[in-house]
Amino acid sequence: MSIRLSVILIAVSVLSLETACRRDRGSFLPVDPNAAVFWDRQDTQSAALMRGMVEEFNAQSRLLPIRWEHGGGYAEIFRKVSAGIQAGLLPAMAVSYESMTSEYIAAGAAVPLDRWIHDPQVGLTEKDLSDFFPATLECNRYALHGNRMYSFPLAKSVLVMYCNREVMRCAGIQKAPETWTDFLEACRTIHQATGKAALAAVPDCSTFSGMVFSMGGEVYDGSRLQYDGPESLASFSLLEEMVREGLLSLAPPGTFDDNIALVRGDAAFVMRSSSSRTYLLKMAGEKGATLLDIVPIPQKNPRRPATVLFGPNVTIFPVPEPQQKAAWGFVRWFTQPEQAARWAVATGYLPVRRSALTHPLIRQNWDTWPPNRVPYDCLEFARSEPNVDGWQQVRVLVERALTEVMSGTRTAREVAEWLQREGTRALKRATQAEGRPGRDDRNST
Amino acid sequence: MSFRTVSEKYRERALAGVLLSPALLLLFIFTYFPMFIAFRMSLYGGRRGPGPWVGLDNYREALTSPDFWMALRVTAYYVLGIVPASLALGFAIAYGLHRVGPGRALLRTCFFIPYITSTVAAAMVWRALFNPRYGVANQLLSWIGLPPQRWLLESRGVLFLLTGGWIPADWGPSLALCCIILFDIWHLSGFMVVVFLAALQAMPRELEEAARLDGAGSVTLAIRIVLPAVRPTLLFLAVAGMCKTLQSFNSIYTLTQGSTVLPETQTLIYYAYAQFYEFGYWGYGSAVAVILTVLIIVLTALQFRMLDRGRSMS
Amino acid sequence: MNRKIPVALSRMAWLRRGRTRRGGRQFWLYLGLSSGALLFCWPFLWMISTSLESFEDAVTPGLGVWPASWHWENYLETWRSSPFPRYFLNTFIVAGTVSAAVALSATLAGYALVFLHFPGKKLAFMLAVGAMMVPFEAIFIPNFVLVTRLGWYNSLAALIISWCANGFSIFLMRQAFLAVPFEYYEAARLDGCGSLRFLFRVALPLVRPTLSVTAVFAFLGSYNALLWPLIVTADGSRRVVQVGLTVFTTESGVQLHLLMCAATIVMLPSVLLFLLAQRAVSDTMMATGVKG
Repeated sequence: MSIRLSVILIAVSVLSLETACRRDRGSFLPVDPNAAVFWDRQDTQSAALMRGMVEEFNAQSRLLPIRWEHGGGYAEIFRKVSAGIQAGLLPAMAVSYESMTSEYIAAGAAVPLDRWIHDPQVGLTEKDLSDFFPATLECNRYALHGNRMYSFPLAKSVLVMYCNREVMRCAGIQKAPETWTDFLEACRTIHQATGKAALAAVPDCSTFSGMVFSMGGEVYDGSRLQYDGPESLASFSLLEEMVREGLLSLAPPGTFDDNIALVRGDAAFVMRSSSSRTYLLKMAGEKGATLLDIVPIPQKNPRRPATVLFGPNVTIFPVPEPQQKAAWGFVRWFTQPEQAARWAVATGYLPVRRSALTHPLIRQNWDTWPPNRVPYDCLEFARSEPNVDGWQQVRVLVERALTEVMSGTRTAREVAEWLQREGTRALKRATQAEGRPGRDDRNST
Repeated sequence: MSFRTVSEKYRERALAGVLLSPALLLLFIFTYFPMFIAFRMSLYGGRRGPGPWVGLDNYREALTSPDFWMALRVTAYYVLGIVPASLALGFAIAYGLHRVGPGRALLRTCFFIPYITSTVAAAMVWRALFNPRYGVANQLLSWIGLPPQRWLLESRGVLFLLTGGWIPADWGPSLALCCIILFDIWHLSGFMVVVFLAALQAMPRELEEAARLDGAGSVTLAIRIVLPAVRPTLLFLAVAGMCKTLQSFNSIYTLTQGSTVLPETQTLIYYAYAQFYEFGYWGYGSAVAVILTVLIIVLTALQFRMLDRGRSMS
Repeated sequence: MNRKIPVALSRMAWLRRGRTRRGGRQFWLYLGLSSGALLFCWPFLWMISTSLESFEDAVTPGLGVWPASWHWENYLETWRSSPFPRYFLNTFIVAGTVSAAVALSATLAGYALVFLHFPGKKLAFMLAVGAMMVPFEAIFIPNFVLVTRLGWYNSLAALIISWCANGFSIFLMRQAFLAVPFEYYEAARLDGCGSLRFLFRVALPLVRPTLSVTAVFAFLGSYNALLWPLIVTADGSRRVVQVGLTVFTTESGVQLHLLMCAATIVMLPSVLLFLLAQRAVSDTMMATGVKG
């Protein structure tokens, strides 16, 4: 009897807990009703600057105040938002990569920004819009979701190549290589002269995309992955060749061992985000400015250069309108030349609007160390990676493929075929899971 | 039991209810109920949030997926590599500590420090140790004339590397996994030392002395007398160690810097995490987590069968 | 149950033989244990030494534990990077409460599971132990939803209440109570001692070492948790010290020296706590002198 009683008791309590946890989909309560909360990830120094700028914005804005909160790293913010979506409790905006945003869209938790962009009161004019570097906006349009903008860039970075001038000088190399052919030759010369592996690299998906772009290729053409294409194969083969000749030293993914190798003179080249330069200069200490150099990544055809554009954006969530409006107001204010220039000079990120480039602060920044100018030049030809659903999983596969090629355990051809097959499967799985009834009406909210 | 009257019997039951209810109630609300929700989630498809009802499809998908079986194999190596070794090491150290006189407090703290060191800091040191370019591990190898290894990046089997390619590369645990196992043994042993030591201290002194007077050597003493005496603790540590290991997420996450690159280091819990959080397959990820939970329950039941010869009551 | 060995002779023989050999054995034991201890502590020492180095030295790879130059100002900089006093206050409130609550709930439950007779005892034990087999990653989202529904989002309650009982502790305490001879219980009951009085007067002192281990583990578990506190809190006033570790990783590298400073600052209290708890344990051992 007591067993039956306890079963009933448990069933009743499960049901009541369950109803307590249920909620309407699509409606979200703000984390703080009196402020537009912004979950961000910044390290200690840029956080101080960001706080200051937020205060400045709040002082001159008539919208809800912005409250800036440190949300951990990207992984933690992603989890915070995922959990918040489930509980129906979200901030006004959060920093996010395109792959994160497309997950939020899938859950019906991202606001299309087109409405705010074209808002007569707080929107952007056509002139404003044409001032943006096209690629910085383009990567925030989600082709699978009505080609709407679900995120907006605050600041960006591009893939560049860092050089250690001293190592190059030891090998008698005057000028950084501009083409991939020259690059391979330079690496060989350096290896012969110094016995060092010329390139230090971590297996990184974005870096590889940059390589493929610079070979004149694509990684995704809008409907199909291109890892079996000639450009991707050429990139893998180049890496394979470099490993075979001992020109490449592999650093564990997620670490910054390649940066360390560059500054210590254990490598001549490193391909990294342009925002790394602040950190690299700091690590190199006093000699940094003379030791290091920045150049565009090598190209197949230097006349038609390409590189990858990356860096986080912000996503605005479907919280009540005043919150969204304040969040958008802050984004708009932050990308304006004055603010963008200050942020760029202090952090090493790049402004998203052309007019910021004429700002005195930025000119001064170029004058203090001329290589600072290179990332800005790259902005004109940088392209972003695809933002399709399931890309997150493709990234992991690419990095596995890179690890194998860069450790010499599999050949370029094997890896390219494997990657094309597995990547296609991952994308298909994601779209199949997406293609469920009711998706569209959730997205139109 | 003759001294028990009927009213005492009921009073005892009521007391048991009162004593157990805080713990069980909390466990029910914050563990079992969420588990029920997770189970329900595993019956739905879609990404990030409930999609269509798919019944047991997620389970079918998991059980036919080579990635799942790979993760299961990795999990088996992982648990078998960590639990027995850290139990043995933990007991040996605890017994040694039990037998030293002055300085025990300091030594005990030293052995416990791995368990309290922040995983972030500890993982930094271990990654530095296994760094393919700058690490001490490769320096040691070069001193004894062996070629350098890639350690945490090496997806090929450790047996393959040791036999110079006689055994296929996908047999046995990968070298990367072995590095993680070493880290976990180091981390978990401290926990085991402390619990064992507490049990040893509670052990009646006479037991040991009597045996010693019989002329038993240290090792015999440890295995014949002391180990059986701390059997309940051994059971606890075997079960707890296994549960902890099967659910261990942080060590792999921090050692590989959160990059889910090598499936050869991906245990089931990590696989579930990646599917659930990173790729957004909530139903599928939940299904994998449910399978893992069932696996843990079965294994624990087996361990109880083998080790729990606790007092039979009633 | 132990065999009686009355022979005084053998004891004397053992003493005579033991003098020298025992000294030698103790020496090797000490040597082995201290070298093991050094090996176990190495990462800890490295952490402290790195925290005192300059940025350039800190990122220079190596496992040495002696700083090339001493930079005590790192600690100042780290201390200023996050509101540590606030974090510490929150952490101590949370971890202290959790530790006490876990010790209490586990003691009560463990005791009932060993000494009391009631129907469904086996089931109750299975439910308690079963709880530790549920992976946290699996119940993370439902738990978060539950906690927000209860209105605990961004409150210390969310950090405390859901962690006040766990399977590990109940299991650990139950195993400790199992080692208390049942004859004691029967004798005490025959003498008219109540069940609860037996628990607090007789059984609890006997399992004191394990109880303090339980409390210490509960404290550490709560103290070292990062993810849950980060997710259920929204702002600095409710955050805990572990969050202070997350601000030193930039997108291009780690400010290793500061990170290690923060790790050291965060870790010191738990080391101190462990030393204190350990003293308490061994003192009670001396005082009560467990009799077999």
